[in-house]
Amino acid sequence: MEICDTYYSKDEFVETASGNKVNRQTVLCGSQNIVLHGKVIVDKGAIIRGDLANVRTGRYCIISKNAVIRPPFKQFSKGVAFFPLHIGDHVYIGENSVISAASIGSYVYIGKNAVIGRRCVIKDCSIIEDGAILPPETTLASFMKFTKEGKIEGGQGTESVPPAMLDLMVDFTKSFYEHFIPSTH
Amino acid sequence: MDFLISQNYVNYVCQCGLLKPLTNLYFCRHCLNLRCSFCCHHEVDSHFCRNCLENIPSSEAKLRKNKCNSCFDCPSCSFSVLSARATTIQVPMTVKEKQEGEESSTTTSEASSGKMVAKKMYYLACLACRYSSRDVGISDQASQNFCWPEQEYMHANRFNTILNYYQALVLHDKQVKQDEKRRKTTNKSKFQSMTDRTGLNVSAIRRQMGFDKTVSKPKNKPASILPSMTEEVEELSEDIFTKPINLKNITTIEQRFTQPANQPESVKHLYPQHKNLSIKRSIRCRHCEHNVIKPEYNPTSIKYRIQQFASSHVPEVRIIKCYPLMPNKSAFITLKLTNPTMNDMTITIMELPTDDEEVMMIDEMKKNFESLTVSSKSSLMRPSLIEDPRIVSCKPTAKLELPDSSFVINQRDDSAEFDDEIQTDKKDPKFVIWRKANKIAIELSITPNDLKVNDEVIVGFTMHYTYSTVPSTTAEKKDSQQRHALNARVYLNVGNIVDYSTK
Repeated sequence: MEICDTYYSKDEFVETASGNKVNRQTVLCGSQNIVLHGKVIVDKGAIIRGDLANVRTGRYCIISKNAVIRPPFKQFSKGVAFFPLHIGDHVYIGENSVISAASIGSYVYIGKNAVIGRRCVIKDCSIIEDGAILPPETTLASFMKFTKEGKIEGGQGTESVPPAMLDLMVDFTKSFYEHFIPSTH
Repeated sequence: MDFLISQNYVNYVCQCGLLKPLTNLYFCRHCLNLRCSFCCHHEVDSHFCRNCLENIPSSEAKLRKNKCNSCFDCPSCSFSVLSARATTIQVPMTVKEKQEGEESSTTTSEASSGKMVAKKMYYLACLACRYSSRDVGISDQASQNFCWPEQEYMHANRFNTILNYYQALVLHDKQVKQDEKRRKTTNKSKFQSMTDRTGLNVSAIRRQMGFDKTVSKPKNKPASILPSMTEEVEELSEDIFTKPINLKNITTIEQRFTQPANQPESVKHLYPQHKNLSIKRSIRCRHCEHNVIKPEYNPTSIKYRIQQFASSHVPEVRIIKCYPLMPNKSAFITLKLTNPTMNDMTITIMELPTDDEEVMMIDEMKKNFESLTVSSKSSLMRPSLIEDPRIVSCKPTAKLELPDSSFVINQRDDSAEFDDEIQTDKKDPKFVIWRKANKIAIELSITPNDLKVNDEVIVGFTMHYTYSTVPSTTAEKKDSQQRHALNARVYLNVGNIVDYSTK
């Protein structure tokens, strides 16, 4: 299916020179620590906790409504420390998802209502199903799919993740960005 | 975008007759056919642990029984990986440490015997289900890696002796066969064979060394092993029927299956299990034995050395929109076709073959293949391994009004992404709505059959397209570029019949 046009009101969104489209009703704490590398969409109600540690996203990332991006912490004997969170290019993060991963690779699809525990490592070309909950410190290798039941499925060469995931995600995020247009009224 | 929504709306027919979305299909450049993972050979390329992402050579993987040395699966929830947690405990200083301490710092006062030092100890814990290695009585370890006690299995020795016995038996049988063969063949030839002349033959060496030929064959059968004795089975204790059981302490079937050698009954015996290795695989066309997919060895790499995805060779069909569908009433669907190749494509939309035609096609395919296997005897693959093509199970439930002419889709041009103009060519037939770079939108009319409300409407068509093979090496001239006319059968699930009575 072709992606439908999504219309937004120009008053609600701020568009930067590099093409980032950020809703005014988002909570961006510590904005000096947040780097969006261009053509990133941050939708209404999303929270990015840059005050805890650096957050960096690649190009063509989509952070949907009410998603929470929160750098992970690690407990030490003398308290806790927060670690930076890196997100690659062409990553889709679904609605109401909570991301506390240490790193997310490129071409990753994260469904809605997913919870990614602290210090998870998600490699390139992987899928996290809607409503999946990743326990802390999980590694999801490339071409793997984390299901709602909590299992890791697939791998390169199987059909749970399409072999052409890279092209698919590039196409998906680009066309999502192109179909995310200001309403004329 | 089919994977984003679990249902696939646009399916292509693979050569073997299965319906698959384009993203899951491969395109063999040598046979010029669509292939799916079901009708291809899968070969293990490399082993790796999907937790620590370490590449493990296949010989080593075999030695380690396809398990990772350093990563453990949780035996309780079996999905997640155990992670090492650190704790500090106070331990009395050992004599050695005391001496070292005194040597390094002369200022230390007299070492009292009861002095305690903090020591880091590790235990394994599952962060998903709160299982920990302490639950089953594994003591904390001083180091994080490689020193966890290995679980011992009751029958390990027995299995080893059986394995050794059968290995010896196979070796023995092989030797006997080989000897027989040699005896038969030596008499046949008058002339010395190459190996005889070079002295590489075992019998020749034996002769040189002065061993007698007749004595040289020890044909001792390996000593047979004792069959496992059925010892007297203990009677069931009486309280098995009377004692209430606590299901919380009994393992589930899944938990037992994760430890096939042990199959513990009680949760007290759930020991951490070494993580199974994952593989990277290359996929090979069964007909021409060329690779369609060959990944890089590196576990973290997502690149391919050979990649023949159907999505980069075959025009992609996507549904843009569809008008409400009612039985026996025509409705319009808008499709978008994309040309992924670097050459212009001429596309003709035709009707699907009828059942008889399909059977004929399959027969022809089989014949073609038989002639191919006869001609090439060097083939590694046996013809029996080739998947027989089958008739497509899906039947269209609507009639498609075919467009009256064919149309051209421009080649892919990565720079065209930046111009936004939607071009309209006056020469285009009427059903073409717009075209933009290598994409084209067409509108077709469909008439669903006499269906009930909420029935699925499926349309199918054969897409006839031109495909140009790209010369694989630069040495080949551009003239070698060949144009082929190929067919792809496409089935679209355009939606359900709407209830028009309420409207």
